[in-house]
Amino acid sequence: MNCKKRPFPVDDPAPESAATGLPLLRSWKAVYLFVLASFVLWVALLIALTKLFS
Amino acid sequence: MSVLDFVVLISSMLGIAIYGIWRTRGRRDLSAYLKGGHTPWFAIGLSVMATQASAITFLSTPGQGYLGGLAFVQVYFGVPVALIIIAIFFLPAFRRLNVFTAYEYLGRRFDSKTRLLGAALFLLQRGLGAGLTIYAPAIVLTTVFGWPLNLTIISSGLLVIIYTVAGGNDAVTVTQKYQLGVIFAGMLTASCLLLAKLPAGLTCTDSLTLAGGFQKLNAVNFSTDVHERYTLWSGLLGGTFLMLSYFGADQSQVQRYLSGASLREDRLGLMFNAVCKIPMQFCILLLGVLMFLFYQFAPAPLFFNPAASQLLAHNVTGEKLRAYENGFAAAHARTRQQLENWLQARHSGNQIAAGKAFAAAAVARQQGEKIRFAAHQEILASKSATTANDADYVFITFILQQLPHGVIGMLVAAFFAATFSSKAAELNALSSSTTIDIYRHLIRRDASDAECVAVSKRFTVFWGLVAISFALCAHLAENLIQAVNILGSIFYGVMLGLFVVAFFVRHVGGTAVFWAALAAQALVFVLYARLAISYLWYPLIGCAACVVFSLLLQSMFLLGNRNTREFTADGNR
Repeated sequence: MNCKKRPFPVDDPAPESAATGLPLLRSWKAVYLFVLASFVLWVALLIALTKLFS
Repeated sequence: MSVLDFVVLISSMLGIAIYGIWRTRGRRDLSAYLKGGHTPWFAIGLSVMATQASAITFLSTPGQGYLGGLAFVQVYFGVPVALIIIAIFFLPAFRRLNVFTAYEYLGRRFDSKTRLLGAALFLLQRGLGAGLTIYAPAIVLTTVFGWPLNLTIISSGLLVIIYTVAGGNDAVTVTQKYQLGVIFAGMLTASCLLLAKLPAGLTCTDSLTLAGGFQKLNAVNFSTDVHERYTLWSGLLGGTFLMLSYFGADQSQVQRYLSGASLREDRLGLMFNAVCKIPMQFCILLLGVLMFLFYQFAPAPLFFNPAASQLLAHNVTGEKLRAYENGFAAAHARTRQQLENWLQARHSGNQIAAGKAFAAAAVARQQGEKIRFAAHQEILASKSATTANDADYVFITFILQQLPHGVIGMLVAAFFAATFSSKAAELNALSSSTTIDIYRHLIRRDASDAECVAVSKRFTVFWGLVAISFALCAHLAENLIQAVNILGSIFYGVMLGLFVVAFFVRHVGGTAVFWAALAAQALVFVLYARLAISYLWYPLIGCAACVVFSLLLQSMFLLGNRNTREFTADGNR
């Protein structure tokens, strides 16, 4: 088999509208917002730790 | 180490390697060998995490926390945003074109020479750094245990080569899960035992107040000084570009997340890292801060690095050595006494006495640090490279002196597991890129799958031997670790620039971006030689220069370009 001949393309054409399969975060936008929110929360906690104990 | 420690170490390492070989035996299909099978998101997430976390992460990071506190966590502030960008723009394009390597995508979007440039930049910086992931932990472990350095490097290098060759990408992913399990179990055990060893009267609030008083809890630095290495801004801006380059343009990571069963699995694997990376690094740094507290109440050596202590003994007279050691021990004893007074006054509600005791402890500690600094200057005067970072030896010294047998073996196994997991991923990526971007693209375009698998195995052995050779010669170069880290940050920006132009600047063609990348790389070299800014900024500078030069060259010379919609970010929608 010639390895240049591979299937193309392979995934669905509209990945942003695909389901995430997660119970609460059903869209990818919700997943990204959750990640950003957890990041902001962590930075806020670290800032609080810095301010409180330094 | 006792017999029990060796049994734990050897059985866990060999067990994982043999399991990896057995689970992935007989892989003949090129796609299965290089990309892996249908890996679920959780395994991808762990694999991406294990690839980034080398042994030096687990040896050095607690030491960073011990010496510099939590500030190092800011380096990882770029991870969430970078991984979201990759999940939205990079992953769908890689998936849609069904590529084996990230540079194969550059070939489809631009042309052959740009693909080769991207692959060459990766092979150069990753190939040069290949020996480091074996050398760095080996030098620490052999210094502490007295093992033969060359034997440790060769035996650990050969074991990684064997199971990476035998099972390919799947063997790396399969073994990384268990290696990460060993690492986390080891770190968790060490943390629990460390907490148990802190003085009985020291509450959680006392610990935080004490650590904060010694400036160990300064996790976020708002300074805008570009010469300061770890700040909120360098972490958010420079860190985002560094992480974008590492996760989006470095084949050792791209290969990890392209092994998923679907785009969903790949994305969730990345999002798992986006959420967990900062807490994980915070916990490892906090372990270092806890060790700092522990050593305020327990005897601490002048140097944690045994080689530094030996060198000091060799360089100064016996009388001077005793003066250093006794002076440091006396200062340490005064610090401890004053901290005990502080604790007593604090618990009895006498804030004035507590304040005075803490101030006296800080003065005594400063005196101890002055003695340590003077002794360090004596070692530096001998112009020896052995004095390397004392931080690397703090955690391993604590493990050996304070933890019970069996746990010591488990933690040494954790360090080797981290070496193996990152090394195997590197070898796998180097061999994939050499096979797909060089061999099949330039040498034998009509190579069959079976031939590509066989060639890929040979390249894995080749890169493994390069890594071992480099690790064996590493002691010849002074400050090698720093040199290779800086080398990576110098190349990463331009590599990322190639992908940013590919995804977001539709009208720029291959010729413009190729020459722009070369010019940007030259600019980064010049700036590195002339400026003294934090290395975190170079990926941003290299990437921005590559994009701007591409636009200028394309508009100035109106270089030709083909229809690129299906290859750019537009094609994702």
